[in-house]
Amino acid sequence: MPPPSCTPSSTTAPSPLRRRLTFAALLLPTALLGDLASASTAQSKRVQLTIASDGDLLAFKPDHLTCVTKALVHLTFYHTGKYISQQHNWVLTMPGAADAVAQAAMTADEKNGWRPQSDRRVLAATPPCDKGQHVSVDFIAPAPGDYPFICTTPGHGAVMRGILHVTP
Amino acid sequence: MSATVNRSLALIAGATAGLFLAAAGHAAELKSPEMVKTGLRILASVYADMDRKLAADQFDRLPHENQEFQEGSGALRDAIANEPAGFKAQVQSSLASTLTAANQVAEVSKSHDKAKVQSALSALAVSMRSLNALFPESVRVEPGSVEAPHHPPGAGGPPKTS
Repeated sequence: MPPPSCTPSSTTAPSPLRRRLTFAALLLPTALLGDLASASTAQSKRVQLTIASDGDLLAFKPDHLTCVTKALVHLTFYHTGKYISQQHNWVLTMPGAADAVAQAAMTADEKNGWRPQSDRRVLAATPPCDKGQHVSVDFIAPAPGDYPFICTTPGHGAVMRGILHVTP
Repeated sequence: MSATVNRSLALIAGATAGLFLAAAGHAAELKSPEMVKTGLRILASVYADMDRKLAADQFDRLPHENQEFQEGSGALRDAIANEPAGFKAQVQSSLASTLTAANQVAEVSKSHDKAKVQSALSALAVSMRSLNALFPESVRVEPGSVEAPHHPPGAGGPPKTS
């Protein structure tokens, strides 16, 4: 007389349903660990970048930034000007396209933030920022390379620029 | 007669030297030299922007640059706020002339006459040099002296292949 707990079904080969449940139970920790691992990877690729205007001068400070390729970048731009009411923005362009984008921005409407619309040379851009304020933008870091960033307020792009170094 | 002339010349030379030394002494004792330099730099920076706009025939943007010039002058006013009254009055008078010259650039820009605007811009540069001359050389930022862009035009180059 088998013990009550040992039912025939428990001693015989498991049913397909039970086999699937067992398999799933075995896989669950692995899957969770996998999720944690990938979450950790994603976490390590999140990058916070901070940049500012050089007070009331037409310059970014710093004018060089670095991040790793494919990182989810959260960039915050601070307009540290105190006297001049001009707006600034931060626009990341394709390599070699800074001048063309700055030129295109001249004809862009002010209500569009002096940003060329639907321009594939623009990789990321903040909205315009008033003095004493800050704005942000999220973007995925492009392929490794050196990418210029500029302020597209008319006339600023000629001098207010820098480089984002994207590393492998 | 000759002795009188010589004495007068000596007095003038002495007074000039005294004024020069006093100015130099005061200049060396600016309360906020870095703020003064920043104030002059802001004006030179906007001047450079005006120059670029004129070179690109963007006459319509010049009134806006003038507005920035007027606003930016606040930095220099704040920088000299704690200076002796006499020196402050001297700077404020010179700054007022400079701001008038900047207004003139904006006014003339409405004509879209490049030669006239260039002339007004040159007059502004002269006025800015007079303003700079009130300060020691170490803090002066003359019009046209603001350095070129940090990076070559369209900087960036092709993406690296790795």
